Amino acid sequence: MRVLEINNLSINYQLKNGEVQAVRNVSFGVDERDVVGIVGESGSGKSTLAYGIMQLLPSNAYFKSGQIYLFGKNVLTSPIEEIKRNRWKEYSMVFQKSMNALSPVHRIGDQIKETLLIHQPNLSQDEMKKKMERMMELVNLPARVLKLYPHELSGGMMQRTMIALALINDPKLVIFDEATTALDVVTQGQILDEVKKLVENLGLTAVFITHDIGVIAEVCNKIAVIYAGKLMEFGYLKEVIYHPLHPYTKALLKSHPFFLKSGENMKGIPGTLPDLTKLPKGCVFAPRCEFASEKCFEEEPEEFDVEGRKLSCFNLDEVKE
Amino acid sequence: MRIIEIRNLKKYFPLRKFGKRYYVRAVDDVSFSIEEGEIVGILGESGSGKTTLGFLISRLERETEGNMFFRDQKISGTLKLSKDIRRRIQLILQNPYDSFDPRFTVGESLFIPLKTHKVGSQDSEWKDKIYEYMEISGLSPAKDYYERYPHELSGGQLQRLSILRAMLLNPDFLVADECVSMLDVSVRADIINFLLNFISRSKTSMMFITHDISLANFVSNRIIVMYLGKVMEIAKAEEIVKNPLHPYTRILISYSPTLLEKKGKIPIKGYVQPLVETPKGCRFLQRCSFAKKECSEIEPELVEVEKDHFVACHETLK
Repeated sequence: MRVLEINNLSINYQLKNGEVQAVRNVSFGVDERDVVGIVGESGSGKSTLAYGIMQLLPSNAYFKSGQIYLFGKNVLTSPIEEIKRNRWKEYSMVFQKSMNALSPVHRIGDQIKETLLIHQPNLSQDEMKKKMERMMELVNLPARVLKLYPHELSGGMMQRTMIALALINDPKLVIFDEATTALDVVTQGQILDEVKKLVENLGLTAVFITHDIGVIAEVCNKIAVIYAGKLMEFGYLKEVIYHPLHPYTKALLKSHPFFLKSGENMKGIPGTLPDLTKLPKGCVFAPRCEFASEKCFEEEPEEFDVEGRKLSCFNLDEVKE
Repeated sequence: MRIIEIRNLKKYFPLRKFGKRYYVRAVDDVSFSIEEGEIVGILGESGSGKTTLGFLISRLERETEGNMFFRDQKISGTLKLSKDIRRRIQLILQNPYDSFDPRFTVGESLFIPLKTHKVGSQDSEWKDKIYEYMEISGLSPAKDYYERYPHELSGGQLQRLSILRAMLLNPDFLVADECVSMLDVSVRADIINFLLNFISRSKTSMMFITHDISLANFVSNRIIVMYLGKVMEIAKAEEIVKNPLHPYTRILISYSPTLLEKKGKIPIKGYVQPLVETPKGCRFLQRCSFAKKECSEIEPELVEVEKDHFVACHETLK
């Protein structure tokens, strides 16, 4: 079953001096029990995409084109009451920087209970308490954490609390936005393990947004590579990582020490992200691409399917060699 | 020849809690040495005292106890060191946005250290040298970049300048404290290559502080693993990755993301808590899943288990 389908989605931000085209013509689908990783540099529009799916964009952002189907329903045309009813119950999100996402003046237990009161008001106090305790157990936290305030927790514990908060209403889809970025290796590993278990045991579908391709290699089965708001490559993790077909994916893998064969040198990608208010003609990655030909600077490549994945690049044959 | 030698170095930070005095043991009895031209990686989680160690060696922080030598010259005990030694030991900080004065152009920020240490003789010579180094680092035209303010540059460019600022003084020893952790992956590789090129050209020794084991392995010759202010394991980089002996190192490796097939993760309990009271026994005890009775009684010492491979653990000694 298709849990999430994004169709030709574009999101713009309106600024005083122009429009930022943060997401442009992105399409991909997430099936049930998939764990999809979205990887990109900072400023590539991955968080905008996530906030767009959750309908939590700031007021100066608008959807320029496209549809988002969640469980077969287009959320962009649904009334706001319906979105409010389903958000957090059917699908939820773990935010970046959990220390800013939790309220400092309320106990953890009260904050989690609030979402239960809104989405499952029929439960008795006892049932709620049991549910919260079970959820804490699931994310490997002691039940006493429910009585604490956020400042009494460490970064890893707060991140776990956020995961518990996202899962408390048994959603079918959870979006993790840089959920482990600020954490230590060991804590990150533990949380990724827990997410893997949750996907297996609860039949969860997850979307992982990160700039660390290593995290994606660890938990995901599909990967979407995004650059300057454009989808560059989308496919099964193993295929994409072992045989990248897009020059950007290839370059990204070369800049990470643990994807290197011994003796191979790390290589960065020259240049920087383009200014998203005035995009260059042609392919957005062309100025930084080692395979770029004249055509790349003239025309923008269309997305096409190849070997079971999505790709937008003209120079497929050169990259393959 | 040894460039840096550290003996029983300690740094305690005082902390007041409910009127009582406590000490956070950021660096607790650390001894090691760094050879001429060597790159040593310091690996540890946040709170392991690796940054404090970097500050101690670059003499920004006074130690509580212990001795430090720079080429047989004692540098511990005081922060009043000669300009010559100050020039020879340089530091690159983690956050490039914070390590440049926003009111100076980046050129001025590079010029001041040259002027202070009088490398070369006159103004024009210093400027030429800055231009030359800027061109090498790909910031061209250098004259244009010289006049820019930090907010006009990207993080990658600023970090390059931060490395330049340290290298302009021809240091003999460089402390790089998480110098790429703030940067995007695509820029990271370039900065690392740039730094390594500079270092190998001038045969500078370096202490590379990081929490990323794959990066430490890529950059350094030798790796020192720290936990709560203590050295847990010292060995050659490839040896640490292939044959880790301390349970903590093994846990770190098993938890860092990789594509290779894993043997499975080693369970670990709890999280890093700053050390306030002197522990009896091993300080990794609470989180270790191999802990035996003697671990809670005697603190293990750093022992050479194999050639050039030091471990502080009771379990591995057997």
